[in-house]
Amino acid sequence: MPHLSLVKTLSHLQQEQRHIDEIRLEAHGLTLMRGSIAEFAGPASTGKTSLVLSVMAQLTTEGEICALVDSAGSFDPVSAKLAGVEFENLLWVRCGGELEKAFLAADYLVQAKGFGCVWLNLNGLPQNKLRLVPRTYWYRYRSRIKETPTLFLVTAEEHVTGSASQQSFQLEREDARWSGTGRFKLLREFHLKFHSRKGYFGPPQRTRIEMDYSDV
Amino acid sequence: MSRSFACIISDAGRGPLVAVAHQFAHSIELLEDGILFDVSGLERLMGKPQRVAQKILREMQRRQVRGSVAVAETVDTAILLAKQEPAQKQAVLNTPDMFSQLPLVDLAIEQDTLNVFSDLGLQRVEDLLAIPADDLVGRYGREFQNVIDTIEQKGVSLLTPNVKENRVSWSFELDNAVEDFEQLIFVLNHGLERLFAQVEHCGFSTEHLDLQFKLRNKTAKSYAIKTSFPTLERAFWLKLINLRASLDPPEASIVAVDVMAHFTRPRPSQNGLYAVSRPDPENLLLTVGKLKKLVGEANVGTPVILNQRLAEPFGVDAETMPNVNCAGPTVREGGTRNVSLPPLLTGGPAQQIIAFTYYRPPVRAEVLVRDRQLVYLKTRYFAGHIANVSGVWKGNSKWWDRAWRTQEWDVEVENHGVCRLCKAGEEWFLAGEYD
Repeated sequence: MPHLSLVKTLSHLQQEQRHIDEIRLEAHGLTLMRGSIAEFAGPASTGKTSLVLSVMAQLTTEGEICALVDSAGSFDPVSAKLAGVEFENLLWVRCGGELEKAFLAADYLVQAKGFGCVWLNLNGLPQNKLRLVPRTYWYRYRSRIKETPTLFLVTAEEHVTGSASQQSFQLEREDARWSGTGRFKLLREFHLKFHSRKGYFGPPQRTRIEMDYSDV
Repeated sequence: MSRSFACIISDAGRGPLVAVAHQFAHSIELLEDGILFDVSGLERLMGKPQRVAQKILREMQRRQVRGSVAVAETVDTAILLAKQEPAQKQAVLNTPDMFSQLPLVDLAIEQDTLNVFSDLGLQRVEDLLAIPADDLVGRYGREFQNVIDTIEQKGVSLLTPNVKENRVSWSFELDNAVEDFEQLIFVLNHGLERLFAQVEHCGFSTEHLDLQFKLRNKTAKSYAIKTSFPTLERAFWLKLINLRASLDPPEASIVAVDVMAHFTRPRPSQNGLYAVSRPDPENLLLTVGKLKKLVGEANVGTPVILNQRLAEPFGVDAETMPNVNCAGPTVREGGTRNVSLPPLLTGGPAQQIIAFTYYRPPVRAEVLVRDRQLVYLKTRYFAGHIANVSGVWKGNSKWWDRAWRTQEWDVEVENHGVCRLCKAGEEWFLAGEYD
């Protein structure tokens, strides 16, 4: 009888309940917790954006709706497409470099609830401006998304969330690999190292990201 | 009380036929080749069935629907009559007095029996009516009684509505013309109460009201009021109506009011234990509305890649919102969110690609070139020797203009990152960085 196909075995149900609050990026060996703030910080070309795009690609492909608050307009949809982000599940909010609007937009999004991920992209904003943001904003976000399935991601050149974030990663670029010689070179890979600022004694993790020259 | 049914046989398609039927009836059945609807009770409003049929015909002509229409007291009779000459180039009317002239071929009679009737010279309904019914039943069995009932127009077939109402309306003509809209609030409140009671009775809600004021100067003022969520709260709707009317008031005094409530379509998806979480559609609509007000209409939407070779071949599609109803797989693989990384559109495994981010605005640069090699780069934020270079690529062009506007290099600057260096004319600038 067809309706019996809805009945699931106990082992299946147990499997479903396991790790429900985690988002795992197998390729980078990274696990992010839902209902919390995770921060990726690092100077130029350290793979912050690439890692976040991996998360977005995973969630949007699974059918979750994600939102991006693009504070300074630095987001490149071509890279996102190459990373596998499903645009029909992505809401893009461009704030034109206005910090206050970016934080207000993020506030609206966390209030809406139900987003798989809200990415507050602070890349390209001056650090002196970011330091003026009251810490209470981050605690407000934290309390809003607590007990919800939303992962709140923040990318910036320096750490800004303080103790409001449950996970905070400092990224470094160990090496940039180029192929070819002389005038005929191509950028191929970044070898990255990141360590968690919340787990001081843990060893740093390493991963690599590749350049994709294919057309979208 | 006698019943009346109208039938239209046409190949005009469902939409126009339903639109015609909705003008006359709420009980509608779509047939394979036409539409059947109940026009009982229209006699008092329009007159005899013949007059009702003519009105239907006129409505068909107005909507340019070709086909044949018939009005009769039974469903079978209406269908049989309408099926006569359906392939007309224009709408035609088949009257009940034509029924006796119908050929027997159209009735549900077996072929052998039809052959016998043909040999006996029985060709039309009137020929069969001349034979005593008992004799026919005695010879061809009790099942033939159905045929006899049909030709005697006593058919027992029922109309089974399969087109549901999608709106209800309420009208009111005022005794005296009203100048001030505020005076109408009381009447509208009463009307909305009745209207929403009907909507609720059908088990629906509404997020769209059409309001029409007929004015003394023989014109009409219409308002379409939509909300982002369905509600039957009268005070809320009255406030919205009041706001709209005060923003764009009618040009003359109001003599009649017509309000139509459109049913909200039931949401096709439901959240469940094993479904991925998504924002509620109403919540998402509200949030997007708030965001658009905050950052501007054009800055909120889904990304879209343009099929162009411009420097930034993308944009925001402000008209589109994330699809909260049916996007991608809704149930997690194995019930968990810990699935392996998603396949790309090509079907291959996902790549951990190096992403690009733009500088807004682009950063002006000074570049030292020695022996046609990029050696040193200096900006107001950083400076350093160029360790590696890839390029030159030509970019930013339009298909009708073969000239490439910019030359681009990927450069790795010592003690900094990997950037995209561009040159347009004599100007050097950094478009962004790989991150």
